[in-house]
Amino acid sequence: MEWLLEEYATYQSTVAYIGLNGLLALSVYTTLSCGQLALGNAGFAAIGAYAAALLTMNAHAPFAVALLAAAALPALVAVPLGLPVLRLKGIFLAIATIGFGEVVRIGLVNWEYVNGAQGLVAIPQKASVGLIWILLGVALLLLWRLRGSKWGFALEAIRQDEPAARTLGIDTTRYKLAMLMVGAALAGLAGGLEAHFTFMVAPNGFAFTRVVDMLVFAVVGGVAAVWGPILGAAFLTLLPEVLREVSPHLGIEPGPLRLLVNGLILLAVILFLPQGLVSLPRWWQERRGARRPA
Amino acid sequence: MLQQVINGVFLGSIYALFALGYTLVFGVLDILNLAHAAVFMLASFAALALVGHGVHILAAFPLAVLAAGLIGVLLERVAFRPLRARADSNISGLISSLAMATIFEALALLAWGPNVSRFPFGTIPDTQFRLGGAVISRLQLTIIGVAVALFLALSWLVTRTRLGREVRAVAESPRAARVLGVDVDRVIAWSFLISSALGGAAGVLYSLAFNAIQPDMGRGVELKGLAVIILGGMGSMPGAVVAGFALGLTEVFVVANLGASWRDAVSFAGLFLILLLRPRGLFGAAALREA
Amino acid sequence: MTVSRLASLAVAAALCAGSTPAAAQTVVKIGAALSMTGPAAAYGAQQKAGILAAVEEVNKSGLLKGMKLEAVIEDDASTKEQGLAVFQRFINKEKVVAIIGPTLSNTAYATDPLAQAAGVPVVAVSNTAPKGITDIGEWVWRVSLTEGQVIPGALKAAQAKLGFKSAAVLYGNDDAFTQGGYTVMKAALEAMGVQVVGTQTFAKPDRDYSAQLTALLGQKPDILVVSALVENASGIVAQARQLGWQGPILGGNGFNSPKLIGNAGAAAEGVLVGTAWNKVSTDTANLGYLALMKARGHEPDQFCTQAYVGVQVVAEAIRLTGKGTREGVKAGLLKVKGLPTPLGKFSFQPSRDGDHAPAVQLVKDGKFQIMQ
Repeated sequence: MEWLLEEYATYQSTVAYIGLNGLLALSVYTTLSCGQLALGNAGFAAIGAYAAALLTMNAHAPFAVALLAAAALPALVAVPLGLPVLRLKGIFLAIATIGFGEVVRIGLVNWEYVNGAQGLVAIPQKASVGLIWILLGVALLLLWRLRGSKWGFALEAIRQDEPAARTLGIDTTRYKLAMLMVGAALAGLAGGLEAHFTFMVAPNGFAFTRVVDMLVFAVVGGVAAVWGPILGAAFLTLLPEVLREVSPHLGIEPGPLRLLVNGLILLAVILFLPQGLVSLPRWWQERRGARRPA
Repeated sequence: MLQQVINGVFLGSIYALFALGYTLVFGVLDILNLAHAAVFMLASFAALALVGHGVHILAAFPLAVLAAGLIGVLLERVAFRPLRARADSNISGLISSLAMATIFEALALLAWGPNVSRFPFGTIPDTQFRLGGAVISRLQLTIIGVAVALFLALSWLVTRTRLGREVRAVAESPRAARVLGVDVDRVIAWSFLISSALGGAAGVLYSLAFNAIQPDMGRGVELKGLAVIILGGMGSMPGAVVAGFALGLTEVFVVANLGASWRDAVSFAGLFLILLLRPRGLFGAAALREA
Repeated sequence: MTVSRLASLAVAAALCAGSTPAAAQTVVKIGAALSMTGPAAAYGAQQKAGILAAVEEVNKSGLLKGMKLEAVIEDDASTKEQGLAVFQRFINKEKVVAIIGPTLSNTAYATDPLAQAAGVPVVAVSNTAPKGITDIGEWVWRVSLTEGQVIPGALKAAQAKLGFKSAAVLYGNDDAFTQGGYTVMKAALEAMGVQVVGTQTFAKPDRDYSAQLTALLGQKPDILVVSALVENASGIVAQARQLGWQGPILGGNGFNSPKLIGNAGAAAEGVLVGTAWNKVSTDTANLGYLALMKARGHEPDQFCTQAYVGVQVVAEAIRLTGKGTREGVKAGLLKVKGLPTPLGKFSFQPSRDGDHAPAVQLVKDGKFQIMQ
């Protein structure tokens, strides 16, 4: 029993981060599910994180209000961003949203009120592992219901062939914008939760590499199923800890090893398992099926 | 004032060289090769290693550039070719290139560690010239010269050689090119070779200029490169060159007048406006790419 | 005495000597959370070298009777996510008696509260943020001097020697360390009545500073004051000289690295560095340390030295109380006074921040020297 408690204490923050990364991965998934590669989520997370932290620290607002703001504010920002930018195709949308994320980061670095690069510290710890996972569960449920509904059908149609979907009468702009807003809200919520779990926020935590990580979680997990991104987040968040245990036996520096393994896994997934880890059972079935005599 | 212009032209020449490779691959394959910055870095280390073993920089430079080109061919073979048939090849290609970039950076870290290295002193003689009230060094002049030479060489390659024509044909429409007898696979491999060679050249020149070689040195330029190719027009080589210089000069003047804090914000805001108002950039093709 | 008796006595003596049981040694673990990858990787590598050297020295010297130090070094990837995981591992799994690090102040803000809550002493060896580190609680201690303890003295000493009236300032605004340094520089210059004729910023990944330098130096300041980490500092110094600037340049802790001279070369001549570690001090502790690092084939910088001292301080704390436990370390840290270290005689202030005499160095003949 004591061993279990000890293990839990050791991995508590890892478990929390699986939850947070799961939310962030879902936030990228929302737009990927309708075929849009929108990569501004680090910016949305930053807005949510700072908004929540400022509310609890400076305005002494109750935590629930802060979290609500953390989700709502980025969603609102997503509107004036999305309307012009969602018209762009593929890579151009990606680049525009990356630009947005960077502008948010640079803005925060230069904003004296929030201490620039040093960030906000001594944020009270109001988010617990439990809360993070509950909210993740809620998000997962909502997206799963969405997926199975009429919305889901429209999103899939847009993903497969946007011009065709439009001719079917689907208001593609409305759906894409809605998903951008949902993604922004999820990212903001994750940001707000992280701020109140790790006691601090700083602009450097929301750099371009962060949104790349989110994309990788979603892709490695797989976007075919709603829980795919969470699987990807769990896998990749646990990986450094697993490597930490293993690397002394291999005699390689754990840091570069972790980078190398991340790269190799991503490459392997994209080349051989493009639907992500969620499709592993199906892939395995197909391979076994192929061996059975006709 | 003149000094700032010199600063801007110098910076711009490196941006332009880096962006050329980026835009070449995009033009031909419709893919953003995020491993370009990693090749930029590997070429620098290659040159450093050669010079460290006593090879003169005049020989080390072309060797490093060649090595970069070959890495590009490897990159294409491993990370892009298997994905070409897929419908979402530009997203999966992006991710695949990202994976390769991570792998390259990890290998560089394992081989050379995280510290910043520089070429040995005297690799390029360090003399200054005065021009009006401004200063320009022999190194800067050399770099601008080499960059311009490479632009001209590339432009000759693209307009006057058969390979160049084939590259342009594939960029227009691989299917049509194949029908016309072009070996599309070979052309794509060549495009990657040239693109990565250019990126590698940019890397070596950058490291000579700033004496800061590290496994994560690509980070500083990769987003800038993106801004350049958008401004210049995706797939347009003259666009990349013009936009590279334009960005270099703009950055320098923004820094001088508004302060460096605003420099990147201005670049990205500019990027934004271009994407919204004229997504094809200065010289990009307006038409959608044919399948 | 017969031969056989002599022989058996000899054998018995030999057996006794050979079979003296080694005193059972308890292993006392110290965790080190260092950035081995990510933007701070270069500093983490230096810190690791310092820590390993110190642990080996302490064990060899037999300072801690019956106890053997063991360093457990983990990578926090310059992120708070992994920093938290590493701290929790140290606290709950490895059961360390003290934690050294983390490398970055930003990570420390997130991780130190964990140690504070769990009652594990943390010794910061590279966090220089003025506030928010030792404020976290009584289990958080700091060896690294803040820029506030180093810069004002350096500027005053420089002014006494050079007598400057105007200054131009260049600093990295996207990094907590350099941004904090700037705040201190600005306040100190103001307090000294020096006119700041221009202020410019750069970002850590930048390598070209010609635009900023041209703008600043065009204002004709008497001195250029820079808050930067070494990979930027060496470029700044080189480019400033290349643009024709002959005047003095003064930098903070980030400049105190052999890489400054290594990368900037002749351009670094005459650069003033306000620093925590006086590399050329002829203090016995420092000379011994330099010899040790040389024998290990490692050229130390300030990060390495501060990490080394971090281990020294923890070892001293254990020696003072005789207890290799978390409480023992904490009680011992309270008592550390005038400990001879490569940084000078080290004590803790009541606020648990470090206290030792800083130095002002001058680069002369390709080496750091103390400024006269």
